Amino acid sequence: MTATAVETTLARPPRPSVASRVWRFVGRHALTVYAILAIGYLIVPIAVVVMFSFNHPPGRFNYVWHKFTFDNWIHWNAVLGIQGALEKSLEVATLATLVATALGTMIALAIVRHRFYGRATTNVVVFLPMSTPEIVMGSSLLALFLNDQNTIQLGFWTIFIAHVMFIISFVVVTVKARLIGFDRHLEEAAMDLGANEWTTFQKVTLPLLAPAILAAGLLGFALSIDDFVITYLNAGPVQTFPIFVWGIARVAVPPQVNVVASAIFLVAIILGLANVVWQYRAAKSTRGAAA
Amino acid sequence: MGGFLHRHKGLTPYLLLAPGMLWLTFFFLLPMGFLGYQSLQSGLFPHFHFTWAFSNFSSALSDYHTQLIRSFVYAGIATLACLLLAYPLAYWIAFRAGPWRNLFLLFIVAPFFVTYLVRTLAWLNILADEGPVVRILRDIHVLGPNGRLLATTFAVVAGITYNFFPFMALPLYVSLEQIDGRLLEAAKDLYSSPTKAFLKVTVPLSMPGIVAGTLLTFIPAAGDFINAALLGTPNQAMIGNVIQAKFLESLDYPTAASLSFILMGTILVILLIYAKIVGPEKLTG
Amino acid sequence: MNRRMTRDELLRRGAIGLGALSVPGLLAACGGSGGGGGSSSASSQKLNKVLEFANWPYYIDTPATLKAAGIHKPTTLKQFEQKTGIKVNYYEEINDNPGYFAKVEGRLSKGQGIGRDIIVSTDNDRFLGEYISQHWAQKLDKSLIPNIKNLIPAQQHPPFDPNRDYSLPWASGMDGIAWNEKETDPVTSVKQLFEDPKLKGRVGVWNSMGDTLGLVILENGDDPANVTDASFNRAIARVQKAVSSGQIRKFYGNDYAAVLEKGDLAASMAWSGDIANLADPKIHWGVPTQGGIIWTDNMIIPLGGSVPTASTYMNFMYDPAISAQWAIGANYISSVKDVKTAAVKLDPKASSNDLTFPTDQTLSQMHQNDPKMLTNPDYNKKWLAVQGQ
Repeated sequence: MTATAVETTLARPPRPSVASRVWRFVGRHALTVYAILAIGYLIVPIAVVVMFSFNHPPGRFNYVWHKFTFDNWIHWNAVLGIQGALEKSLEVATLATLVATALGTMIALAIVRHRFYGRATTNVVVFLPMSTPEIVMGSSLLALFLNDQNTIQLGFWTIFIAHVMFIISFVVVTVKARLIGFDRHLEEAAMDLGANEWTTFQKVTLPLLAPAILAAGLLGFALSIDDFVITYLNAGPVQTFPIFVWGIARVAVPPQVNVVASAIFLVAIILGLANVVWQYRAAKSTRGAAA
Repeated sequence: MGGFLHRHKGLTPYLLLAPGMLWLTFFFLLPMGFLGYQSLQSGLFPHFHFTWAFSNFSSALSDYHTQLIRSFVYAGIATLACLLLAYPLAYWIAFRAGPWRNLFLLFIVAPFFVTYLVRTLAWLNILADEGPVVRILRDIHVLGPNGRLLATTFAVVAGITYNFFPFMALPLYVSLEQIDGRLLEAAKDLYSSPTKAFLKVTVPLSMPGIVAGTLLTFIPAAGDFINAALLGTPNQAMIGNVIQAKFLESLDYPTAASLSFILMGTILVILLIYAKIVGPEKLTG
Repeated sequence: MNRRMTRDELLRRGAIGLGALSVPGLLAACGGSGGGGGSSSASSQKLNKVLEFANWPYYIDTPATLKAAGIHKPTTLKQFEQKTGIKVNYYEEINDNPGYFAKVEGRLSKGQGIGRDIIVSTDNDRFLGEYISQHWAQKLDKSLIPNIKNLIPAQQHPPFDPNRDYSLPWASGMDGIAWNEKETDPVTSVKQLFEDPKLKGRVGVWNSMGDTLGLVILENGDDPANVTDASFNRAIARVQKAVSSGQIRKFYGNDYAAVLEKGDLAASMAWSGDIANLADPKIHWGVPTQGGIIWTDNMIIPLGGSVPTASTYMNFMYDPAISAQWAIGANYISSVKDVKTAAVKLDPKASSNDLTFPTDQTLSQMHQNDPKMLTNPDYNKKWLAVQGQ
């Protein structure tokens, strides 16, 4: 081939027009701007909550800014019951989320990957708890517990049972979204390489499912920590944080509630930041290993 | 264990299902059975008698069909709003956020850790009639001179949208995150515009997430009562409010129970239609 | 409700392998007397070392409120503990009557206790009457309550408990109208509340039938203590008109006060105690021109509670000096005779505090609800309908 022919063959494609380049630039960054705005929209009320946690309200209600104070943060557990309620909420949420995520993931695997008798019915049954109004779900569950007073008393464990019950559906649907369309070639490749089903599941499937399981777990945790109606009816003497807040908010919301709420939020964000750092390190080490 | 499962392959799904489904059976289906029993009772508190009172259903339906329809309309609008608002965010987190993605997932979910009431009180503060937002909107004539944002249909639907946002965003993310980036690149090479690539490749690949998100938002939103209670007027009452009131205030358990089944039944019908439209495999794989 | 569910029916309802669960027990759960519910335990007749007291929030004097009033004494709870040696576990867990009722109804209906010796319920809601008529409240031990003689005459024979065998007043409050002076001129009547165009969309009423309709019935010139179908329908129609015209913004629970303070409400039906506790000079409260309603939260001893311990506490609270301190600290109205005189000794400002120590003139404008109105299912339905439910 002559030099010119090579040049022609390797000629660069025509440069895109300025307008199209600008459009692409805007398009590329518009999405990021949107993402920031969207997060902002989600966080705006939280910012207000944090702000008012530093408020010193004149009367009982904390809705009008009065003056700044650190008192609420220093004496955050001055309001009787707030600490206990918070602890209970975190305990129940953690435990219920772990159990429900495990159970729900298994159900999702079964529904998506196997054809079995009763599959359609199972699918429907999984949707039902989501569609049931909380008040009737809570009270019929209460009726069930009250029948078996010798085996179970109303309290922490009845809350736990109720929470697992309504979280499972959300986990199933979320994990299914990942399983449907899951590329099975990787698993087949692993098995071709000699792994048995269990090892494949452990080393290939589960890690690929991890983001979905994590997302489902986050949703479950949020559901549990925020639940009021079902918990209220089945808690017996136990107080969780939402029950506490609803009780006290009937008359007035002390700033300490804002403090606790802000603290929960901040802890979550700090955990997220820690995860960012961890991810950076993990990415660096894989790059380093590959180099 | 691998050997046992290998020999009894047909058992695997049942073993996987067993723990979760047993839990649901004892702690959901059984209470629902009792609820069904209640729905066919008649009488006044506390002297209810089981009388096969199917008329409970017909009278409940005729009395409250307005609220029922309204609930589905509100839930539908809110679900659509959630989808439109959450999709770009989920897309960004899945493809552009890199190591920051889990942090942003937390940003989506963290408001939930703050209890519903505290979040809503903050919104009530921000959107108050004499607050900055309303004042600005009045100044630029989006709202009339005495217009307000709270205690309106807008407020209720916006509340539902805000409070169910994570239920749409997270499944969307889950589905988008698994899309192979190379497919997207190939699509861009294939199609003349990024929009086309998006519509023809990305959206269909994220369909399971869209379906999951719409279900996780619409179904519970239809039965919601708290947003209408705190953010609306009597004209925004949803079926959830009716059931709540019938149960707590009127002590009319049969009506509350039958309304709950009407709600559940309608949702199932909508589900079936939805499955037909998007294709049943999107629901089960 | 005595029909046994057959195993087949239960299976058809989707349950599997029921062995462990008792079917008759499930039937018994549908409210009313189930089989096997025990009567109150023997311990309910002993004087305990601990009193389990469930109440509404902000309903008792606290060190902070006493300090603000310049009273240098321990709280009434502490004084009770010091005097009797009985410790009080005080739970502010009652947020509203229907919710608490739903929570405890299951156990009470089976004759079981709820772990509380005293609970508090309001007389202008149907639930107090239900507790008593369903025999879920135990009789007071009046031999341990000699101070019951201090109960004011107006409270001695309430319709839901004519001989005061089961209940004693804890706190009373007055239903009236509150307004935000920055948003409106004084609002002094229900007529003005419902019809003044300047208030449109910024008026609040309660979601509680006794309170709201009580005031409207008075505005109509009818008697709220003796409600007829005609007077009820007149009141409902009036409320409906105000809802349809957009005059009424919302039917509130306890949350109207914050909205009123913020200015989203210009005026609202309001409880005297809430406004007193707001301590905001721009929020005013007054008795409507056609009269107000007075409601009372009553103490009852639920099944399983200790009658002697609870009765001892009730007796303590019916000492005028103690009740006066409570009233000043909690800012609600006491039902004890001569409480105002005792209060002035503790805090001279009490003599001018008409919200907490209403004058006879104010009290003469107060009326009570008709309990038959509260339990009438037809009225209940109409009341929910006007709220869109």
